[in-house]
Order: sequence, then C-alpha cells, then structure tokens
Amino acid sequence: MKTTLTAVLVASTALVGTAMAESHGGKMTIGITQNNVGVDSYQTTYEKAFIAATEANDMVEAVVLDAGGDVARQIAQMEDLIQQEVDAIIIWPTNGEAVIPAVRKAHNAGIPVIVTNSNIAEQGFDFVASFSGPDNITQGSRSAEIMCDKFKDMGIENEARVVQISGQPGYTTAIERQKGFDDRLPEVCPNVTLVETQPGDWNREKSQQVMEAFLVKYDDIDGVYSGDDNMGVGALNAAKAAGREGIIFVGATNFAVGYEAMAAGEYWGSIYQSPVDDAEAALKTAIDVLNGEEVPFLNYFDTPKITQDNMGDYTKPVF
Amino acid sequence: MAELTKQGIGRVLAKQGILIAFVVFMIGFALANPRFIAVDNISGVIRSSAILGVMALGVTFVVIGGNLDLSVGSMMSFSTIVVLDLHDKIGPTLAIPAMFGLTLGLGAFIGFLVGYLKLNSLIVTLGMLSAIHGLTLTWSGGQNMDIADKSGTWFSVFGQGNIAGVPVPILIFAGLAIVLSLILSKTPFGRKVYAVGGNGKAATFSGIPRARIVFLTYLISSFCVACAGLLQASRSLGSQNTVGQGLELEVLAAVILGGASLLGGSGTIFKTVIGVLILGFIQNGLLLMGLAFYVQYVVTWVIIILAVWLDIAAKRGRLLSQIA
Repeated sequence: MKTTLTAVLVASTALVGTAMAESHGGKMTIGITQNNVGVDSYQTTYEKAFIAATEANDMVEAVVLDAGGDVARQIAQMEDLIQQEVDAIIIWPTNGEAVIPAVRKAHNAGIPVIVTNSNIAEQGFDFVASFSGPDNITQGSRSAEIMCDKFKDMGIENEARVVQISGQPGYTTAIERQKGFDDRLPEVCPNVTLVETQPGDWNREKSQQVMEAFLVKYDDIDGVYSGDDNMGVGALNAAKAAGREGIIFVGATNFAVGYEAMAAGEYWGSIYQSPVDDAEAALKTAIDVLNGEEVPFLNYFDTPKITQDNMGDYTKPVF
Repeated sequence: MAELTKQGIGRVLAKQGILIAFVVFMIGFALANPRFIAVDNISGVIRSSAILGVMALGVTFVVIGGNLDLSVGSMMSFSTIVVLDLHDKIGPTLAIPAMFGLTLGLGAFIGFLVGYLKLNSLIVTLGMLSAIHGLTLTWSGGQNMDIADKSGTWFSVFGQGNIAGVPVPILIFAGLAIVLSLILSKTPFGRKVYAVGGNGKAATFSGIPRARIVFLTYLISSFCVACAGLLQASRSLGSQNTVGQGLELEVLAAVILGGASLLGGSGTIFKTVIGVLILGFIQNGLLLMGLAFYVQYVVTWVIIILAVWLDIAAKRGRLLSQIA
C-alpha cells in the first residue's frame, strides 16, 4: 500500500516537473485559480471559454485550477503557482479579504497578479497588477435606470414602489450592485420608493420565498430589482403564483431563464454580462501585463442594458 | 378530582412542550404583523416548508435508528437535476420513476455501508454529501438545468398545482407524514427502529436484524429525498446544481427541534412536523417584520434555543435544572 502511494507520488511529481519544463520554452505560463467552477453555469462557461482562449493562443500555456469555493484551498493553489514560477496568476477570489496575503506573496515573488470577475478588498490593491471584470456598481446603476425609464413610460414614476432582492450577503458583487442601485434610483426617479431589501443568496428558491413574503406584506409593488436573473425568475414565479400582474422585473447578469422570460413578456430587463467576454478579458489583461503594455488598474469590460425592446440585438445566454 | 385534572393537564403540557413553544411564537408574530396569520400567508409558508419537511420525515427515521444523514441536501440537488434533465429527454412519465430509482440506489448504497458494513454514519454521509455533489455536477456538466417548454408540461402539478384549493406540496407533505407516522408508531418495523436506535446491542440480542433495519431507514430517507426533489423541480421547473446545499443542517435542526434525540431511540413524526413548521414560520415571520437579514440570523438562533429550552422545561416541570 505504502509503496503504491510513494510510486504514485513520484509519478505525479515527475509529471508536474515535465509540464513545467515544457512550459518555459519562450511561452507565457499563466496560472488561474477560480472560485467555484460548477457551482453555477456562469463559472462553468467562464472556465470553458478561458481554456478555449488559451488553446487558441500559441504563445500561452495555462495552468487551470479551481478552489471549489474554499479559501484555504485557493491560498494553497496560489502557493503552488508561485512554486511553479508561472509568469502571471489570474485569481477569481473566493473571499476578497482572506486571499490578500497570498496575493502579496505572489507580488513579492515578482509574479504579476490579475484579479478577475470580483475584486479583492482595497488594502490588497498595491499587490495587484490589474482587475479585469464587470463594473458591478455601474450594473446596479444601469438596472435602476432601466426600471426608472420603464416607470416613466408607464407614467407611474411619481408613485411607484420597489422591492429589492440582493445577492449573498458579504459577497462583493452583491454589495456593489445593491450600492449602484440604491444610489442611482433616487437620482433618476426621486419619487420612487424603495420599500425593502432582503437577500436571496443568489438562490432561486430562496428568492421565491422572499418574494412571497413581500407580496403578503405589501399590496402595492410596482417593481422588483434582483441582483441576478436567477433570483429575478424566482421572484417572478412567486408573483405569477400569487396572480399579481403588472410588476416590472429588472435583474442583472442575464441568464437564459431571464432571457426567455423577457421573450415571453413577463420580465422587463437585465444587464447583459457574458462569461466568455469575462474570461477573454482576463486572459487579454494578463497577456498585456506580461507584454509590458499600459493596462488600466480597473479594466472593465462592457456590460450593456438589455430589455424587451432591444433583446433582439443579443443572443440568448448559454447559461 | 380537580387536583387530578390539573395533574392531567400538566402531564399533557409536559409531553407537548414544543407545541406550546410553537403556539407562543405564532401569537407573537401575529401580534407583530396581523398579516402573518392571513390564510394565504400560512398556506404559502407550509407550501415552502414542504420540501424541507418531506426530507425531515425521512431523516427522522434515520435519527431514531441512531444514525445521521448529512447527505440529504446534496442528494436532493441530485434528484432535482436528474428529473429536470430526463424530463426533456425521455418525458416526465419515465423521468419520475427513473429519478426515484437512481435516488433510492444512492440511499441503498449508504444503507449498505452504514447498516451491513457498520461504518460510522457521520463519516459515510459526510463523504456522500460531497460525492453526490460531484455526481450531480458530472451529470449536468455544471450547467443550470431548465425545462424547455415550461407552460406546456403537466409536470408542474406537483409543485404548483392545487387540489380543492390546497396546494399539492402540502397534500404530499401531509400524506407522507400520515403514512410514515403510522409506519413508525403502529408497525413492528417502526418499533424495531426505536429498539435499534435505543440500544443496538440489546436489539441484536433480541433477534432484531439491526443491519436490515438501518438499511431500510436510509432507503426511506432517500425515498423522501426523491419526493422533495420532485417537488423542488416541479415548483421552479429549473434549477441550479446547488439547490439543496446546506439543507442537511436545516433538516437536522427541524428534527432535533422536534425533540428527536441525536443519540437515537426517541422522536416522532408529528414532532418533526412541528419542528419543520417552527423553522418555516420563524423565517417568514422575521421577513414580515422587516428585520435586516443579519438580525434575522441571530434571532432565528435565539428562537431555536428558546424552543428547545421550553421543551425541556416542560418535561422536567421547571424552568431551570435542579442541579445547576
């Protein structure tokens, strides 16, 4: 038993060794540690797109790792990548605070770190070469604008009442989208009231329950903003089951289910965010950094508004 | 005579401490927001709780039998994803029995490991929690699973339908609760579950096939999980891979709140149902009060502890322990 184990260990170490030797033939080796592939379709599609983009590029060799949502595992993976002396590391943080020491370690080892999708906390910015991802505050603002414009079309911008279903508490994306929405709504529609915000934890079933409670509590709801379409569709299901019509649903991160509900005329709008763009932007940022090009510290890719009016310009999301 | 009646009432109260706690909370929430006791709210909460509830019924058997089942959350994700995927591939009529078959297979596997191989149930089901999660992800390729034609399928009847004005999930939950309660309290098998959980060695010496009984408790648990997966899939007609994540602890909380001992040998289906309803109504009541979510986390915990305390206090007839 013991011998077998040792043999396996030796074999796998040897394999890693060969992989490293090969990867240093003038090519760039880029390591990526992802948050939690498989937990949702966005991350799965991101990973596929990332691998496809690296395979299409002859100059790039990729080491693709997944932290499985576990901070400790992600820190260990960062250390592995530092040990392997990759040229650059892309990290999709499992936690914006806890990964900072590992990011600093890579930075001190002379390996540029690119943060993808959701940024780390501000005290870690000194150790980061660039952040590539969506601008979630802008996304929240845009959702507020979509909702306000629709209220103006309907002529209810002076009395409409809105509830909000936010993402997982403590998750940067959730906090930023909520902030963008909370700040922008009173600017564009000062007389619309945001009556209550509760978290739906990125979970459709949970959001459905939250919405059911909102519907019992408030006789008059004109709009629902959800931190992503998955939660938005949960809220929509609750409203449909309760027979409450005429509510304007606006989400973010347009999912296939959200797109379909928009096509059916039940869901008004969202923010189009493609995991393929996200992955390709991260890889391009890393390559640009390694080529010594000027890269903005906050390197956002565009995430446009999508509503029933312009959805024909966009293909249905694959996730 | 009057003395006797008083004692009688006392004894009834002592037996039903958890029921008293339940009534107290209901009155409290109703005073805070009268809409809490509106018929549509109550029926909504029970319908939402049905999924957790159905799973808790099965886990009650496992816990009374002296074991744990931490795999039910990820097993429920598995059932949900499988039935949704098969729905579009082979149609709902075949998808449902196929999903039940696969889920029961998982239950039988766990039952075999814990019952016949006598492995520690905590380790086995903790391992299965992550193994089944992997299985689900492999099945779905990590993608969300959605039924293509949502309005044209009769499959939605389990989660969204009504019979005589009562939501179907409530009927399934109630029906299963009655059947399982009868099995547990009125059949020789039920008594053997208590015996095995109360004292496994004594049970073996009295000729009770311990391994088979434990095996069957896991089979019942996985059957309940399959029902929960069916309700979940039918309710939203689409799902993430992680839909059941974390439910294993909520289920366990409901079962223990209902008074089942983690050491096995005690508990009833009726009390588990009360435990499930307490959890459901706490969540809903706090939402209706409009408390910020971080306050809700704390308050939920406080209420659970209060309920357990009231239950114990009623059993020993005083609020504080004699030996403090």
